[in-house]
Amino acid sequence: MDNSQDYVIEMLHITKVFPGIIANDDITLQLRRGEIHALLGENGAGKSTLMSVLFGLYQPEKGEIRKNGQKVVINDPNDATALGIGMVHQHFKLVEVFTVLENIILGAETTKMGFIQKAEARRKVEELSKKYGLSVDLDAKVEDITVGMQQRVEILKMLYRDNEILIFDEPTAVLTPQEIDELMKVMKNLVAEGKSILFISHKLNEIMAVSDRVSVLRKGKYIGTIETAGTTKQELSSMMVGRPVQLEIDKTPAQPKEEILKVENVCIKSHVHDRDAVHNVTFTVHAGEIVCLAGIDGNGQTEFIYGLSGLDKLSSGSITLCGEDISHATIRDKSKNMSHIPEDRHKHGLVLDFQLQENMVLQRFEESKFQHNGFIDRKAVREYSDRLIREYDVRSGQGSITVARSMSGGNQQKAIIAREIDRDKALIVAVQPTRGLDVGAIEFIHSQIVKERDRGKAVLLVSLELDEVMSLSDRILVMHNGEIVGELDPKKTNVQELGLYMAGAKHM
Amino acid sequence: MEKKSFFASDSFRSVLASLISILAGMAVGAVIIAIVGFKDPSLGANSVWDGIRLVFGGLFSTGRDASGSLTWGFNSANMGNMLFRATPLIMTGLSVAMAYKTGLFNIGAPGQYLMGTMVSLIVALSIPSWVVPPQIIWFLAFFAGMVAGALWGMVAGAMKAFLNINEVLACIMTNWIAANLVTFVFDITAYKNVVENTKSGYIYKTSFNNVQTAKMGLDKIFAGSQINAGILVAILFAVGVYILMDKTTLGFQLKACGSNRHASRYAGIRDRRNIVLSMGIAGALSAGGAALYNLAGNTEFFWSTYQSLPAIGFNGIPVALLALCNPIGVIFAAMFMSMLSIAGLQLSNLTAYNEYITDVIISVIVYLSAFSLFIRTLLKNVGKKPETVNANAEPAPAPAPADEETVSSAAETAPGDPGEVTAPGQEANTEEGGTEE
Repeated sequence: MDNSQDYVIEMLHITKVFPGIIANDDITLQLRRGEIHALLGENGAGKSTLMSVLFGLYQPEKGEIRKNGQKVVINDPNDATALGIGMVHQHFKLVEVFTVLENIILGAETTKMGFIQKAEARRKVEELSKKYGLSVDLDAKVEDITVGMQQRVEILKMLYRDNEILIFDEPTAVLTPQEIDELMKVMKNLVAEGKSILFISHKLNEIMAVSDRVSVLRKGKYIGTIETAGTTKQELSSMMVGRPVQLEIDKTPAQPKEEILKVENVCIKSHVHDRDAVHNVTFTVHAGEIVCLAGIDGNGQTEFIYGLSGLDKLSSGSITLCGEDISHATIRDKSKNMSHIPEDRHKHGLVLDFQLQENMVLQRFEESKFQHNGFIDRKAVREYSDRLIREYDVRSGQGSITVARSMSGGNQQKAIIAREIDRDKALIVAVQPTRGLDVGAIEFIHSQIVKERDRGKAVLLVSLELDEVMSLSDRILVMHNGEIVGELDPKKTNVQELGLYMAGAKHM
Repeated sequence: MEKKSFFASDSFRSVLASLISILAGMAVGAVIIAIVGFKDPSLGANSVWDGIRLVFGGLFSTGRDASGSLTWGFNSANMGNMLFRATPLIMTGLSVAMAYKTGLFNIGAPGQYLMGTMVSLIVALSIPSWVVPPQIIWFLAFFAGMVAGALWGMVAGAMKAFLNINEVLACIMTNWIAANLVTFVFDITAYKNVVENTKSGYIYKTSFNNVQTAKMGLDKIFAGSQINAGILVAILFAVGVYILMDKTTLGFQLKACGSNRHASRYAGIRDRRNIVLSMGIAGALSAGGAALYNLAGNTEFFWSTYQSLPAIGFNGIPVALLALCNPIGVIFAAMFMSMLSIAGLQLSNLTAYNEYITDVIISVIVYLSAFSLFIRTLLKNVGKKPETVNANAEPAPAPAPADEETVSSAAETAPGDPGEVTAPGQEANTEEGGTEE
């Protein structure tokens, strides 16, 4: 091909085999100079493996990597850096107690006789930040700046090292809508200045908004590369999942009935600082509606749910569930009328070293159905677990006896959802039920939650995903700094307004 | 679900791993014997050959014949003594193994063992046997000992559960408190043996009060040995612990707390109670071992223990490791350990090797034996190839979690990165760290 000069990085026919699985099966990815190229795929589609190959962490069995048309061999991450490849990780790699400047130059310090030349570094960073519109406060400590600014620090780190190929791994997961817009602008600036960007994501809106081309992977296979301008979200999602996917949630207007949960003036002490993590929170949830607690991560949602479920104590206020005061009840007593899909499935949701069937009865093993005189009825547990696996399509290597740790994230989450929904309680608390999951799994989980609502359950949803907040909930409560700052009707509001409430710029 | 062949099964691999580590340990022991033997002019090639044979088969040695060569056969005294010595080791091994399965490292077995010793001896010696039948006293002493050990274990458990103090630290402290407490208590009591004053510093044997463990005919089978029915009690306890941990709701809870305390709390399991309970059961098992040993009737307790902790307690750790914490495996691991000490005795009795070198050899064997977990992992990797073929047939999930791991590790090794790894959900972690208090 004559236009091969146009490609700054090419990964041609990459095949990477792990014991038992072909993670990358003949994948070709060609990044043009000065384009934003999105890499789209579900969890486990092979995106991360492909990037690890590019970084020299894995050697592919087949295929080659070319830079500017020349074959290169990347044996370790140092080689990748030498070739000008840099990455912004989903979870930032910053030293919290260092200043922004120190973080940027860390590992690439210019020194003279062992002394760091900060002035010189500062000049270079200031130049870069002006050139690309990345405003940061160089002397602030990383722990004091916003997540959006931390991300800019990560980008400046790459630029400081003169990287030309920038990889963004799910960069928007932690940002507010306004920050996302900002990031999109920065990305466009970067390519305008001649950088090339690989943008890993499964959020279709963002891919449509910012990328020039999209390459889709599915189950380790290369599905194709298309121009973003000539495609639709619908087409991309069916390429990714392999079947048509319903992107809009199909639900009828809510018909709220009796009050199930009543939260009055609840305060919860923070374990990090002296203030309340949750301050004077009051709201109700009725049967047959989905109420969403929206907000940026770390604004008291987690603490509130801990207080509600009993993992932490309330410092004041009261919670009434199904007419019963449960403010100070034990976790087990609270769970009599409450299902809880926890935020962190590895920490709270599952005992990872237990079998799937043992996890399925984690709260219920003392029920007479599953034990006789203190002896666990293995047969009953097995049958129950087999039924849940069937009904909720939980996939795993060995069915009920699979060790939970060996399952994929999506199926672990499905198992938790199956367990919690099947407990059949009046209130379902779902905290980020679709975090890190792919379109297919999200579709399933959303439809389950709507189904439970229609069966007359009260649902309290905590979500950081704006799309999810807007499409799934019947009523939105926005949390900021531990307080509820707004109640919105998803039909009458938009993402921008929601974002302003979330950022604390607007109050009730 | 495909059926794995027996040889690829986990249990087979576990047994194989333990056997390999035992053999490796004994082989190294043999090498030491050879080195010492060839270096020492009083030993030589013949002694080396005898020594090696004794290390491997000391249990079946019956002495030397007229011509001076070793004789072999069923040695009822050796066999019985092996079982007798294995009895308390089974119990301390169970104690460590059981705690380990619930996520706790019970290095407090020696302290619990001492508390069990003290209380069971005092009960056994203080109730007059002409008032209460000795069999009843035996049971009272046995249970009182176990209760004392349970309470002692619970101290460390409570510190862990309520104050977040690492159980290893708490256990080491309580060990030494126990050692000094036991010395203090016996110092002010009247149980110091003054009748057999050829030996000083010992407590009366319980047989002075007619209390001794029933023999149940075992002394007939293993003539000339110290064996009693304690070994049967210990085996019963092993089976009991197996059932507790594997079949009951209590075991389920204890294991769940050990494996993921947060998830257990979330599920409404009382994590604090379970940690305390777990250490309590472990303490009771160690103390039960002490009671079985000291109530035998023919054993003497050297009461001035404040400078040392009982080795039987610590040896529970290698026993549990060698058994890969399987309660049934503990029975055999404990027997193996006591077999080594019998072999050591035979070695110093029948050859010119001195008793200290036999201790060194035993230590080396024990040390290498504890590598069984490591060897099992090696075996797993060896056995990986055939397994993967089966996994291929499973179309379902790609290894997504593993995948994510690699990315974060990519990050760690990427040059120029500050190397600060922010784990997913780290914020939640710090918050949760607070709620534990």
